[in-house]
Amino acid sequence: MKTRNSSHFDGLTIKTKLLRTRLLVTLLFGSGLLAVWLYVYSEKQQKLRQQRIQQLQRVALGQGSFSLLDHRGQRRTKRDFLGSWVLMYFGFTHCPDICPEELDKLSAVVSALDRDASLPPVQPLFITVDPERDDVPALARYVKDFHPRLIGLTGTSEEVKHAGQDYRVYASPGPKDEDGDYIVDHTILIYLISPDGLFLDYYNRTKDQEQITESIRNHVKNYIRL
Amino acid sequence: MTAPSSAERKACWEARDQLWRCLDDNNDKATCCQNFQSEFEAKCPAQWVKYFMKRRDFLKYKEKMQTDGFTPAEGPKQPS
Ligand SMILES: [Cu+2]
Repeated sequence: MKTRNSSHFDGLTIKTKLLRTRLLVTLLFGSGLLAVWLYVYSEKQQKLRQQRIQQLQRVALGQGSFSLLDHRGQRRTKRDFLGSWVLMYFGFTHCPDICPEELDKLSAVVSALDRDASLPPVQPLFITVDPERDDVPALARYVKDFHPRLIGLTGTSEEVKHAGQDYRVYASPGPKDEDGDYIVDHTILIYLISPDGLFLDYYNRTKDQEQITESIRNHVKNYIRL
Repeated sequence: MTAPSSAERKACWEARDQLWRCLDDNNDKATCCQNFQSEFEAKCPAQWVKYFMKRRDFLKYKEKMQTDGFTPAEGPKQPS
């Protein structure tokens, strides 16, 4: 009875051992897979986190809200443009060549994007760096030479300076001549703002119309709302 | 003082381009291009005349540096 019992138990022990081993192997294999999966998952999370940090870092450059008068005399704030893509350029109406050239380019880009029905309309903005001369009527005269949706923005020198500061815009008026005329040396970048109001990209003079259009197209297509 | 209109800008640029072409063709001898010079000064605000003269120097300098294979480090600076 004891022997039978013991042999019976022995058989059971072997079976249990086998089961345990199998379980252990399965467990080890499974946990190996889990580890790999966890690793990949955490890598992905890390990447997403990094992307988000990068996005938020870009927020820093353009987070402030502006409050300016448009060329029709209406007050506009950055909030009014949330929800749409914005192309923004800083300049002045007495600018001899660069501002009109860049605004022509910007207008052509917006028109090219307008022709693509799969894309939302992009809002072009022109913010003056010369509020002393660029009042509402001056802007109204100026913007009509460019894209029909172009909005000119002006304000007090503080308001204008504040709007530019958020994009690290540099502007320095030169000496006045006998006519009281002067040239303003200023940043000549075109800024792309996402519908969240975040600064996404900028384009300098070396970028032509096609390059900018293509870049914006890509930004719009790859855009993920925060 | 109002800013030049689109038509005035274009007239000024055209006069500038004609003067520059003349200067290019005449080895920068200003005496050869007096007519173009006065046309340019008549069509452009005085401030722009000064600006475009400097701009031409800058562009010529840049061109020279590019053809000579130097990088323009200390050339005339150009406001926009
Ligand atoms: Cu300018």
